[in-house]
Amino acid sequence: MRQDQKDTKDQLGRRQFFRALGGGTVAAAVGVAATPMTATDAQAYDPGQDETKGRYRLTDHVKAFYRTNGYETLQNSSNAAGKK
Amino acid sequence: MARMKFLCDADRCIECNACVTACKNEHEVPWGINRRRVVTLNDGKPGERSVSMACMHCTDAPCAAVCPVNCFYTTADAVVLHSKDICIGCGYCFYACPFGAPQYPRVGNFGSRGKMDKCTYCSGGPEPDLSLAEYEKYGSNRLAEGKLPLCAEMCSTKALLAGDGEMIAEIYKQRVVKRGYGSGAWGWKTAYRETVAI
Repeated sequence: MRQDQKDTKDQLGRRQFFRALGGGTVAAAVGVAATPMTATDAQAYDPGQDETKGRYRLTDHVKAFYRTNGYETLQNSSNAAGKK
Repeated sequence: MARMKFLCDADRCIECNACVTACKNEHEVPWGINRRRVVTLNDGKPGERSVSMACMHCTDAPCAAVCPVNCFYTTADAVVLHSKDICIGCGYCFYACPFGAPQYPRVGNFGSRGKMDKCTYCSGGPEPDLSLAEYEKYGSNRLAEGKLPLCAEMCSTKALLAGDGEMIAEIYKQRVVKRGYGSGAWGWKTAYRETVAI
């Protein structure tokens, strides 16, 4: 085989390679475009009932806080928590 | 259902910063973050006022309104909490908050931010109550223990009130009724009589 024929064969091989590569890329792009969007819509954080439940309780500790904060003014008040 | 609120009696606050220190210690808040701070107006002048500020747990919270990932939620106690697992540290809530409550840890160079951190009203976060995961992310959960926020319980002058909004409003109202409007019993006019202009 002559040297120029060998070069031609190599050149054709390279062209075939790029042609195949280009065709594959186009096919992949078409495939991506044709695929429906699989991502879902953004979802708001939905805390459960257990997370949003009320934790405040009128314990003796809390009653003492109310009483000591309002002892000057609430001592005569009938609706003071400390008197309950 | 009780609605949890903070109320700072500015006539009593002496800017001792005990509330700030108590908060940082109770929740092991990292460097660079203050969930609570004391703001002083007219510092060093007659009529000076100090107010202890933190998240006010708004009824219609602007931080929640602008959050792009909706990481905020309001509990039955009207406490505004957020999930650090969902927060992306964008900083929108910082710009929306009128009180400057949201804080961000610096996690790297060039100003990169971490997850937002703010006052939880000592009621933890979305993790199970009193769990280690909750403590590491949000600090202690005193409300679940039957207590109130430590900042208010620590206040030596009883300036910072916390608890059921109706109850602390009643306490404050009766204080004002007794001492009069302004500073009838405590404050500048008591110390300096009429020689000082407030």
